[in-house]
Order: sequence, then C-alpha cells, then structure tokens
Amino acid sequence: MNRIENMLLELKDTSEYMIDLAYSSLLYNNTDLAEEVEFLERKMDDLSDDIQEAIVNLGKQQPEEIARFSVILRLQMAIEDIANAAASIADVVLRGLGNHPVIQMSIQESEVTIERTIIKPESVLKDRSLGELRLGSHCGMYVIAIKRGENFIYRPGRDEVLRVGDVLIAKGPDDAADYFIGLADGSETDI
Amino acid sequence: MADEDRPDLEDMTVQELLTEMKDISEVIVDLAYASLMYNSRAMASKVNELEDEMEELKYAMRVKALLAARTKEDARELSGILQIASAADRISHAAGEIVDLLDVPPEKRPFITNLINESDEKIRMVRVSQGSDMAGNTIAKLGVEANTGMKIIAMKNRYGWIYDPDDDVKIRAGDDLIVRGTEDGGNRLADFASGRIPWEFDEEASDE
Repeated sequence: MNRIENMLLELKDTSEYMIDLAYSSLLYNNTDLAEEVEFLERKMDDLSDDIQEAIVNLGKQQPEEIARFSVILRLQMAIEDIANAAASIADVVLRGLGNHPVIQMSIQESEVTIERTIIKPESVLKDRSLGELRLGSHCGMYVIAIKRGENFIYRPGRDEVLRVGDVLIAKGPDDAADYFIGLADGSETDI
Repeated sequence: MADEDRPDLEDMTVQELLTEMKDISEVIVDLAYASLMYNSRAMASKVNELEDEMEELKYAMRVKALLAARTKEDARELSGILQIASAADRISHAAGEIVDLLDVPPEKRPFITNLINESDEKIRMVRVSQGSDMAGNTIAKLGVEANTGMKIIAMKNRYGWIYDPDDDVKIRAGDDLIVRGTEDGGNRLADFASGRIPWEFDEEASDE
C-alpha cells in the first residue's frame, strides 16, 4: 500500500473506533472517553488535510488519473463525516447532557452490547496479552479501552498485557457478555 | 431489526427509536463497505433503504421529544438525545456517500478492496457446505458471533439476500455469509463453514 492508502486506512479504522468509543462514553456518561473521541477527531482533521494535500499534489503530477484520485477524496470525506458524527455523540457527554436514563437504556437494548468488567486475581485473563487471548475471535468481544489506575489505555494493541485490577470496556454480541464477564471475574476458566 | 417485528414509528418510545437508530448506524457502514467490496448494487440499495428509514426515525424522534418536554430541564436533556439521533442519521448519510462510489467503474477504485482487506476488522464471504455443522441451525443456536467474533452483516440463501439477519434465521448448506471481524475469526468460521472442523455447540444456547 502506498502512503495515501495507509493514511486512508488509518482514517477508516479510527472512524470506526471513534463510534465504538463514542457510544461507550454515552453508556457510562464518561467524560474521559468522550474527550478521547474529541482528541481523535482533531487527529482525523489533520490526517484529512494531509490526504487532501497529497491528492492535490498527485493530481498535478498525473492529471490523467484525476478520476481515480477523486474517488479517494470522496471516500475520505465520507469517513470524515462518520468521525464528525462520533464526535457529536461524545459532545453530548461533554456538555453534561448524557445523564438521561433513556440514553443508557437504549444502548443496553441494542444489538451490539458494551460491557465493563474488572480483572479479578483469579481471572484466567490476567498476565496474558490481548494478542495471546484473541478475545475478539474467541468470544466476539473486542476490547475498546482499558482503565488502569487513573489512566485509560485506548485502542489497546496485541502486546497489551492484562493486569489484575484492569477495567476492560469491550463490545460484542449479547450472548458473549456473560462468558466474557466470567473470564474476567474468574468464574469462567475455559478459554 | 426485522421490519415485520417493528411497531409503527408513532407507537415507539424515545428509547426504542434511539436503540433502532444506534443499531442501524452500526450495521450500515459495514454494509456500505461490503457493497463496494463485492460490487453489489443490491447491497447498496439496502444501504439507501436504511438511510431513508433512519430519516423517518429521526423525525419520529423529534416529534416525540417535542411532545415530551414540559420543563426547561426536560428540554435540555432531550436536546442531547436529539443530538445523538442526528449523529446516527449523519452516519447513515456517510454510508450513502460510500455506496455512491459504486457508480465509479471498479478499475478506478482498486484501492478500496485493499483498504477493506487491510482494516482491523475485515469483511469476507464464506459459503456453508453440505458437511458443515452450521447447516440446519439458526444463528442464535450457533452463536456465530460469540463463537467466532464474526458478525453476519448479510447472507444469501436460496430465497435471496437477507441483510443484518435476525438471530432466528436458519443457515443452510449453500448459503453465502458476508461477515465482518478479525482475520483469525474469519479463518475459524471458514473452517466451520466448510465442515473441516466440528462446531462447538454451547449447551446453554437455545433457539430463542
């Protein structure tokens, strides 16, 4: 993949992550999570500017390829819209309007569930990396963020090792939630 | 979100409307990318249909919210909910913009398939073979997503396409599933679907 494609990939993955994080911030009415969405939105703006600049430069060099380049721009703009929408969701929390029980209930009732759970000392997840555990392909639960002490780790990578006391925020199908919580509290040992 | 299960918009509560909008906002983007990946007009029209539905939901939500506000505090809180509804609607329009790219000939957009293949969560298609344990079982009974992490965003069976299929839909041999998730989850599902490995049924799973 070339540089522009890589930037576009980053833009796409981040936009999807922002939606997950924005809905999580609503569910827990949590300003840390909402601020991270806002932070990512600013990053997305910069990345979008870079992509547009690169495309314009390429267009000057290869005018015959303009049609192909314009597709990239159109996709970039659509993805940026998604990111802006995510930021607008998080903004509800930052404005202090995220406290309405209807908001929390509507997210709990939805097809994609978001769960928050703490790693207990007896958990099979402790001291193992996310890459080793592969929770996503194993039970469909994707870890969105980890709260460790006072700090959040956003978009944790494969190398992130889970520790006792970590609070995991994860999304996935409803029927995986109990199993996932069981893994974290130690009542479920089969992984 | 099967249409036949849904009550009239006017009978839905603010919470039900918001849940529906959130669900659509999550599946519509996946469907949009999948339509580009498989060059599917049918999938693109489903995206447009969901986009229209989202618009209806948004207006129904506004009416409900305006009727519900009695005090300034109500109005403040409901304005937050309306903002979420607008955001979900904006996501659906972005998905509409993505499927508009289908009008561009595929050779002018070769990078898109690449882009989707390189993403954190990938989209792929698997076919269910005769010898697979999946054949003859519902999505709920299998717990497809809980067992593989792969979400079925669309499927094609002998009757045609089903988008964002409900849990009670039965999978049969010959069905094509368009799924989204990680690479190894996809590989695992492909192994189950081909019958190479037996499905690990969860005793507690039911058809409900």
